[in-house]
Amino acid sequence: MTATLPATTPPAGAGTGAASRPAAHRAPRQPGRARRVLLDTPRKLWALLLGLLALSVAWGVIGGLVANQHAAAADSLASVNARLTFDSRHMYQSIADADATITAAFLASPTPPLRLLQRYEKDLATAHDNLSELQSAEGNPAMGPALASLGAGLSAYSGYVAEATAEYADDHPLTGGSFLQVASEEAHLTLLPAANDVFTKENAQLNAASGQATGYPTIIGLLILAVVTGIALYLAQRWLYRRTNRVFSPGLALASVVLFGSVVWLLAAFSGARSDLDRGIGHGSAPAQNLALASIGVQQIRGDSVLNVISRSGNASFSDDFAKTRKNVDTWLSEAASAQDTGQGSNGAALVAAAQRDTTAWYTANSRVYSLGMSGNYAGERALVVGSVPGNTVTGYNALEGDLSAALKADQDVFSSAVASGADALDPLTGGIAAASLLMVLGCGWAITRRLAEYR
Amino acid sequence: MMAGERRRGFRLRSAALYIATGTALAAALAACGSAGGTTTATVAAAQTETLKETGSSLLAPLMGDWVKGYEAQTPGASVTAVSSSSGTGIKDATSGSADIGTSDAYLSSGDLVKKPSLVNIPLAVSAQTVIYNVPGVTGNLKLNGTILAEIYQGKITTWDDPLITSLNPHAHLTGTKIVPVVRKDRSGDTFLFTSYLSTQYSNWDATTGYGTIVNWPHLPVEPTPTGSTGVLNTCKATPGCIAYNGISYLAQALQGGLGEAQLANYAGNYTLPTAATITAGLSSFVSLTPPNETISLIDGPAPGGYPIINYEYAVVSTRQPSAAKASAIRDFLTWIITKGNNPTSAYLDKWGFQPLPSALVTLGETQIGEISS
Repeated sequence: MTATLPATTPPAGAGTGAASRPAAHRAPRQPGRARRVLLDTPRKLWALLLGLLALSVAWGVIGGLVANQHAAAADSLASVNARLTFDSRHMYQSIADADATITAAFLASPTPPLRLLQRYEKDLATAHDNLSELQSAEGNPAMGPALASLGAGLSAYSGYVAEATAEYADDHPLTGGSFLQVASEEAHLTLLPAANDVFTKENAQLNAASGQATGYPTIIGLLILAVVTGIALYLAQRWLYRRTNRVFSPGLALASVVLFGSVVWLLAAFSGARSDLDRGIGHGSAPAQNLALASIGVQQIRGDSVLNVISRSGNASFSDDFAKTRKNVDTWLSEAASAQDTGQGSNGAALVAAAQRDTTAWYTANSRVYSLGMSGNYAGERALVVGSVPGNTVTGYNALEGDLSAALKADQDVFSSAVASGADALDPLTGGIAAASLLMVLGCGWAITRRLAEYR
Repeated sequence: MMAGERRRGFRLRSAALYIATGTALAAALAACGSAGGTTTATVAAAQTETLKETGSSLLAPLMGDWVKGYEAQTPGASVTAVSSSSGTGIKDATSGSADIGTSDAYLSSGDLVKKPSLVNIPLAVSAQTVIYNVPGVTGNLKLNGTILAEIYQGKITTWDDPLITSLNPHAHLTGTKIVPVVRKDRSGDTFLFTSYLSTQYSNWDATTGYGTIVNWPHLPVEPTPTGSTGVLNTCKATPGCIAYNGISYLAQALQGGLGEAQLANYAGNYTLPTAATITAGLSSFVSLTPPNETISLIDGPAPGGYPIINYEYAVVSTRQPSAAKASAIRDFLTWIITKGNNPTSAYLDKWGFQPLPSALVTLGETQIGEISS
């Protein structure tokens, strides 16, 4: 099929009419008009070609960038979530557990069992590892001061514990005990607030990444570009159609079909990914955040009960803090429970329910700690906190932490699988849109250059 | 907020060292000036704030003398000192109802975590005595942690118990009933005494433990006076009494006919609280004292050391309501740990206290430097 532009023949009567006019006036006008006509159409074709090529390339570049941005945001969501639920929560948990473990160990005996010393060492090593992970991760620069505090504070903390251990080993338990107090102060006043700060900032970063991965603005902008490109292709087709004796342009038709196909693909991939990510956030990272908060609350209750035992020289009681934190833990657990994935194969709901059950006995044991402390029954209070009597707080704490860690892992699995599925849907989109853009460029180029060739 | 307020000594060591160096020079100047009997550049500017101090009854007699001395040397200075107890001192300093609380015990981790702006600054070195009212006994009975713990557990009930007589074969001990005196208010003295029992007698630690307030084992007779003066008067009036009290009340106890025990130290030697034994007991702790000066000095390893010694602490908030108040507190505390601790000034000697070692003065000045508005 050959499309032919109408021949730019001189206007009818150009030769005869000219005789009635002065030659001096006619002669320069006639060739100028024809030339203009001759020149105008190729120029318009060039302009059309450039415009269509620009739109096609813009579709490829902007579409590719948007698709890539969403795919990257989904990947970033996975990594921020991993840092949040593993590194920053783990770091808090490790520091809190290290302090409670070593303090309770020396409260129980000046020569604590090896397993408790090993647990303390392991906690400290985990905190250092988590800190290194967070320091090396590309992340929020606002976390810099908190990470620096943690780095310096961990060395100071372990230094005080080492002093305490040496004093206990030399059979000076009171001096050792006062070094443990100084270490605990470092943990509670420097390390744990800094770890909590990192956790809070990671939380904010996760929310930002969620918004970026599932947000509409860039997709809407891209759809507007697709509509503009589609209209441009339609108008170009119509213009050529009217000037080509009703001949259809296959190049432009190809570009239009490719554009339409890529828009459909983009919408399908984005909707699918958004649905996956929403599921992952709603049933994975959101309950995991609540579980992480509950875990931090549990650590606070445990740490406060140990502080209450070792604070023999003051007036402070953590009884009020216990009541407040306990209420928060209950709220976080209940929110986590209601957000669990109830699909087949998911055991998150059962694990959160187990954690909720375990809190009851543990709260009762902690209440006893405070009532014994209030009545000056140091020995009874200490026995409950170091775990040497039935109904102690250590057994309940270990069970609860086990439940929470397992539930967090289950939620993390839900999240990882959903995010992977969402990212899988988005990942090929960048290449696909780039290929579509290339086809559009070729189609438009082919259609317009053929028309231009007729003017040579 | 908490971390920022409490990081001080731990993570600003370079800055602290810098400040400490400067303040140590100032302290040296102050000491030289005082020793020479002339005023120096460290004489305080006129104060317009009235400071309120309350707390340790053990420290109260010395604090009274310090206040008089400070007010005499500082134009416009005014300090109201009220003897109460270490528990009250910590409580009032925490709540802000006193500018300075004094305590025989360091601040607990719990108090610091609850109020991170608090610091505890040693003002002097003290000791605790064990006094008794045993008619017919002269000299100083030897007692150790096991005997004292068993007395306070109600296991040893008479002065002629074999455990006591075996340690004191030449003492004229009869079957007089022992009346242990305890304090039931929050007391730094109780903290020090029960700390000693805990470290010397593991059963005490396992069953009762130590603290400013403890759940005393049930005893048939148990006078519970309040404050050091109350303890002294109760013991004087109660034949068979045994009690723990601060060294600042020792002279009155001895004048009142009470006896003073030699206590077993970590090495098993029996010592009385003299300048030499207190200083010896302290020696092994000076270099160990951390930047926040929280440390127990009980039952140290020195063979010739007295076993129940402690720093007397001022508990202060580093966040004061006004610059004038902060300045007044800094000035008063600096005066205490420099001029008030100067051995030639006789403030300490009169009440049996010992001066802070220079390293402690330096640490104290660093902490005092953090008090601001």
